[in-house]
Amino acid sequence: MRMDKLLVSILVLLAASAAVTFSGLIDRYQFARFVNHIERIGLRYLLKLRGLVRRFKSSGAFGRTRTGIAANAQSGPGTDSSSPVDIRILNCRVRLTKQKDQDRVVDVFNVDICGSIHTSITACQAALKVSVLDVTDEFPMAVQTQVRQGTGAGGPVLSPFYHKADLGKLPHQVTILSDWTSVAQLRLDKLLFPRRGGRTLQFDTSVLSAETGQELALARCRFVYENPDFGFMDLQENSERTKVLAVALAFAVSAADGDLHDWEIDLIKNWARDNILDSPEEASDQDIPRLDKALNKTIAFFRAGNRLDGCGICRELLGIAPIAQRYDILELCLYVARASGTVAAEELAILKDLATWLEVDPERFRVMMQKVLPIDMHQVKDIQTVLGITLDMDKEKVRRHLNKEYSKWNSRVTNSDPAIQGQADQMLRLIAEARSQYTSEQRVSPQDTKAPVR
Amino acid sequence: MTNIVGIDLGTTFSELAILNAIGKPEIIPNADGERLTPSAIFFDEENPDMVRVGIEAINSRYLNAQRSVRWIKRHMGDPRYHKTIDSKDWTAVELSALILKKLKQDCSVEHGEIRDVVISVPAHFDEVRRKATMDAGIAAGLNVIGIVNEPVAAALYYATTRKVSGRVMVYDLGGGTFDVTIMDVKGHQMDIVCSQGDHSLGGIDFDQKILEMLEKSYREKFNGELIASDEDRAKYEDESEDIKRTLSRRDVAKKMLYGPKGNMKVEITREMFEAAIGELMDRADILVEVALEEAGIDPSGIDKVLLVGGSTRIPLVQQRLEKLFGFPPETAVNVDECVALGAALHAGLTMVREKPDAVSAGIANGLKDINLTDVCNHSYGTICAPLDKETGRRVVENRIILKKNTPLPCEASQMFYTLTKGQSEVAVTVTQGEDKAVEYVNRIATHKFKLPADRPAQCPIKVTYSYDVNQRMHCKFEDLESGRILEVDLALGQDGKVSKQDVKEKDEEMAAVGKSKVQ
Repeated sequence: MRMDKLLVSILVLLAASAAVTFSGLIDRYQFARFVNHIERIGLRYLLKLRGLVRRFKSSGAFGRTRTGIAANAQSGPGTDSSSPVDIRILNCRVRLTKQKDQDRVVDVFNVDICGSIHTSITACQAALKVSVLDVTDEFPMAVQTQVRQGTGAGGPVLSPFYHKADLGKLPHQVTILSDWTSVAQLRLDKLLFPRRGGRTLQFDTSVLSAETGQELALARCRFVYENPDFGFMDLQENSERTKVLAVALAFAVSAADGDLHDWEIDLIKNWARDNILDSPEEASDQDIPRLDKALNKTIAFFRAGNRLDGCGICRELLGIAPIAQRYDILELCLYVARASGTVAAEELAILKDLATWLEVDPERFRVMMQKVLPIDMHQVKDIQTVLGITLDMDKEKVRRHLNKEYSKWNSRVTNSDPAIQGQADQMLRLIAEARSQYTSEQRVSPQDTKAPVR
Repeated sequence: MTNIVGIDLGTTFSELAILNAIGKPEIIPNADGERLTPSAIFFDEENPDMVRVGIEAINSRYLNAQRSVRWIKRHMGDPRYHKTIDSKDWTAVELSALILKKLKQDCSVEHGEIRDVVISVPAHFDEVRRKATMDAGIAAGLNVIGIVNEPVAAALYYATTRKVSGRVMVYDLGGGTFDVTIMDVKGHQMDIVCSQGDHSLGGIDFDQKILEMLEKSYREKFNGELIASDEDRAKYEDESEDIKRTLSRRDVAKKMLYGPKGNMKVEITREMFEAAIGELMDRADILVEVALEEAGIDPSGIDKVLLVGGSTRIPLVQQRLEKLFGFPPETAVNVDECVALGAALHAGLTMVREKPDAVSAGIANGLKDINLTDVCNHSYGTICAPLDKETGRRVVENRIILKKNTPLPCEASQMFYTLTKGQSEVAVTVTQGEDKAVEYVNRIATHKFKLPADRPAQCPIKVTYSYDVNQRMHCKFEDLESGRILEVDLALGQDGKVSKQDVKEKDEEMAAVGKSKVQ
């Protein structure tokens, strides 16, 4: 399933890029609408949705329907918070309020109940359970909570959210709460909704026998909440989309010098297999060939001289990929540039552009570049980029900056790794060269030397 | 009473100084009557056990360059470096030991047994290179009681022989390395503020620039190469050095080039030379500025500039310094000797501190007013995995605990926390280097610190490093909840773990150096 999605998304991506490149051949607006249509309601979306639904069904994350309610339990109708109250049964409502937590204020769902609770015995020890179902879409999904933090394959781990609390002893066989009583405060920062935007949430508030777990009463109400953050399904989709876009950008870097080298292609393919397939070991017999087919089409696209709209892709990534993933993409691209052993000026230029478009910290990008692409790999020495000289620096700032760089590399020159020693030696020479270029009496200002020094 | 000796083991020349009866250092000439001994080695062809060190080795290079070695100091601590002679691979430690053996041997003739010595090293040498230097001394049969930074040694000598006061910059441009050190001097009280150094900037680099000019001139005239063999290269390296010396006294140096395609006369002017070494001098200027920035001062904050090392005779060096500071730098009577003389003083101070009974009253009295506060030459840290604020991910990084240029003795602590629930051990690493990125720092010791199991994450571990005046470092890792402690001692010349391989290598070094007859 994922292969279909990948194949389609790569093809869509290529088609979109082709439209940008050959804007004279196709009406750009119509084409964009077509791509948008496919992306939103077409094959890819349906496949994805079906897959996600299947995944969540199999994990038991779906909420129960009314048929799951015990026969002897009293239950209120699914109500909005504003529904009239029937005191003979249990009712619930939800309010969005704020709660103070040490030095900050957090949003909470305040769950209130009123009405009757029936038990077969007196002095029944009771417990409260609240679970939340997102019923906005065709397939309801349980609202999740994070049980373990982490990134990558190890986490985070999500689990359906529920709140449980002791209600104490119910004094009578029929306990009546005539007024709304607050029984639970659910912190929003602990809840993960499927998607961003307006969400219709169904709150199932049940009173249970603490001893037997038997459901004594169930009340259900709905609340419409405007979720400002990405939902877990959004994040999953974003993550998958991000990987596809990462592959596209990696190919763009590879093709920047006019040639896709075999080492670069191998590197990208391996990255795609490791990251796009759920698990390369568990991938089905069809998965890898299908992925390869999609990648080969992409390679053919670039080999035909086509180019991507890197800026547009990065703009999309800015909307869906957190900064950590954007660093991952940049790192992949740096390794692709390195794969052939030398870095062409065109590759360096696109890497710089990607760093800017992906809005990563320029200093951090420079550090990444120094690690992955040591100066001896650069076919053209772009002093400003390599040494971090920016256009706003005056002579004194350049001098101080270069002194700092010199001090840094001078301490690395005695490193036990010969490769780092060699790199440090070259950097020291480059800094001395830059110093005479930028800070001598007949100096050149950074603005005057935008072009790399060959 | 034992002889107290300081040795300047230089890239191009080495010297030995001894403290006289009243605690004044004196250079001891070698067997040839020379005060400076070229740091050059020649392995005799006829007598494989005979090793010639000094001027004879220099001269023999013209006849058989393959069997000669120079500039060994540049390779100290480099495990890849070796010189193969008669199927024996000589390491930089062994080769240096041969030079030290020659110095020791020549001095012993007049002064009796030479045992307790301090050897000088560039201030920027890391632990690996310092240890290698110490190993060379041990292999030469010396008891290395300390290692002193060359600019510190030079400043010691200056401060005890002439009136120096205020904030002083020691500019040490030697045969192969460059150091700049800033210190506060008040009478005989010397406090080091900071040091910077360049391991590959010195006289031989200037010689190389002249050699390139000679080769270029020859190529232009004859369309051929001047140098056809290692022996030719050895000869013209020395000719280049000679031209450099001449240009320190005159405006023009003239030489005859005898090449395979014909002979020619060349003239190298001081202007040409200065243009050729401009980039190298820029590197020296940068380091001066970096040192000033580290000290938190600008050039006007320096009261005196002291010159050390033969390469400071180059007029351009002095001109640049005068231009930067606004006053001329101060030159010792002999800039080549002050490091060895200062190293002898340092040896005396070390002996007074460590073995006072072995020091004569005259020497002890001569040294009694001298007080030196040295600093950590490098930063020392440990490897940890904090959360990156920007990405929210854990990153492995080097965290500095003891900062470079902290006055000795010093101690610093930092708190770290276990990462995972049930973590039963921590890999503790002692690092040396100024970087956060672990790839750029040297790991000088690694140990496993066992912890009690079944504990939650975030258990505090206090890490304390201390460094004493004898350059002994003590690292303490303390699990605050259980009270468990791991202590690692790192003395100079020892990295906290001695493997069988280390012992074997040391034995081999001792045997190879011991067996060789040095002349």
